[in-house]
Amino acid sequence: MTADAESGMSRATDLAERKLVPAAVRRRQRLRSVAIVLATQAALLALLLGFWDYMTANNKQAAFMFGSPSAIAGFLYQMIKDGSLWRDSYVTGLETLLGFLVGNLIGTIIGLSLWYSRFVSRVVEPFVIALGSIPIIALAPIIIIWFGTGLISKVAMSTLSVVIVALVTSYKGAVGVDTDQINLMRTLGASKFQIFRKLVVPASLIDIFAGLKLTVGFALIGAIVGEFMSSSEGLGHAIFKAGSLYIIPKVFAALVATIVLALLLTSVVGRIERLLMPWRRIH
Amino acid sequence: MKGEASHTTRASIAGPNADRVIPLVVDHVAKSYDVDDRVVPVIGDLSLTLDNGQIVSIVGPSGCGKTTLLNTLCGLLAPDAGRISWYGQAITGQPQNVGYMLQKDLLLPWRTAHRNVMLGLEIRGIAANEAHDRSRAMLDRLGLHGFADHYPSTLSGGMRQRVALARTLVNEPAVLLLDEPFASLDFQNKLLIESDTAKLVREGGRSLLLITHDIEEAVSLADRVIVLSKRPTQVKAIYDIELGIERTDMMAARDSRDFSKYVRQIWADLDVVLQ
Repeated sequence: MTADAESGMSRATDLAERKLVPAAVRRRQRLRSVAIVLATQAALLALLLGFWDYMTANNKQAAFMFGSPSAIAGFLYQMIKDGSLWRDSYVTGLETLLGFLVGNLIGTIIGLSLWYSRFVSRVVEPFVIALGSIPIIALAPIIIIWFGTGLISKVAMSTLSVVIVALVTSYKGAVGVDTDQINLMRTLGASKFQIFRKLVVPASLIDIFAGLKLTVGFALIGAIVGEFMSSSEGLGHAIFKAGSLYIIPKVFAALVATIVLALLLTSVVGRIERLLMPWRRIH
Repeated sequence: MKGEASHTTRASIAGPNADRVIPLVVDHVAKSYDVDDRVVPVIGDLSLTLDNGQIVSIVGPSGCGKTTLLNTLCGLLAPDAGRISWYGQAITGQPQNVGYMLQKDLLLPWRTAHRNVMLGLEIRGIAANEAHDRSRAMLDRLGLHGFADHYPSTLSGGMRQRVALARTLVNEPAVLLLDEPFASLDFQNKLLIESDTAKLVREGGRSLLLITHDIEEAVSLADRVIVLSKRPTQVKAIYDIELGIERTDMMAARDSRDFSKYVRQIWADLDVVLQ
């Protein structure tokens, strides 16, 4: 409590002091603090990789069990050279993107439209919770029977991993809209559809985007689990195959590609978020 | 059903006898809530009228159901007993041509000041050009020229409340219902925005029902102050305020001879017990 008050006070004085500093200097200060964070992160990563490389350099058994950064880099280079890195990343990326889009579209539409009827949402609630508690991996064998071993089954896995989360977050956003705000719309003469379109949907965007960021990872997991079950290409396929052959550095190499893919997709979502919600940028 | 009711209301406003129809009559209204199987009466028995071009303030002790009253008047809650008639008609749903404003500005954060003001016109399907111009003109009148394209998060509390006032007034409501709209503002901002409100309401010949806990605000703005009792709420006293001055200057109102007399009397009526 007192600590809170103190930090509040120091923040207030910070602000007052900063007002006197010209914009260029402030921008430089901000850039410097970003640079310090990045440098620390790079140093941590380098330290970790260095320790890893050192521990496995003179120990064949450890190198076999844990791989080594240099071996991983070697595999990455080889995968780039034979083109499998691009092909696998493309396949997994496409599956993830499609599952992400379809799952979020369906989930968000259902979640938002549940706002329309309290009755329907109360009827549906236990079913949603039940569906949400099913581990998606348990569905994989059925999905493969239904949709085959190609692209569609992975997209289906990815969609299923996403759809409930998207539904719940968008519904939460829709029902969280301030009652006074809805009353205001009603006194302005708004119909239920106008309230939905002009208030509920934009007000839910914050929650929808929180869901989008969360579901990038889920979509990727769905696609990779699908590839684990049965596939002929993709990063999940590469990881599974290398793992079965005990080529651990290659598993890590494919994992690195997976991480890069996840970061890429997340940053795209973040960019779209800033584009769609310009009012959130200003503070 | 709602559309039909609103249609008749609008017809009566536009009718030739419009001036003789009293905008708002509240007749022996009662309202209670169910809390854990207990019936809690909020409004006991309340009657009041709001005449054309009149400003009426309602003051009452904290928790006397002022907000419940306002929501009932707006058709957001249905009264348990009694009648509310707008322009001589009992209506279901929201009354037309009534503007509503709360302590919270309720601006939509994703809309600029200008587009927030346009909201009501947009809902009513006014042509975009006209809505655009009218909103800008209203923002200018309230001293927000140059802030039209700002998002609410970049405006001060006083400015946000001005935008909210513009959003209410741009619809040219015949009646305004305000629920402690200036309560969160500092003294200077409060006086300025009160003066602007009084000016715009009186110039436009509009009626205003102002719910407040601020006795000075009530006396300086209103033609009539209605003092409510504790729950279950009834009318305790009615004061017709005569200050003998131009009623759009809030500072002059405070300087006038009888101002403090009214304030003292109302304070006594409220029966505030120090604990």
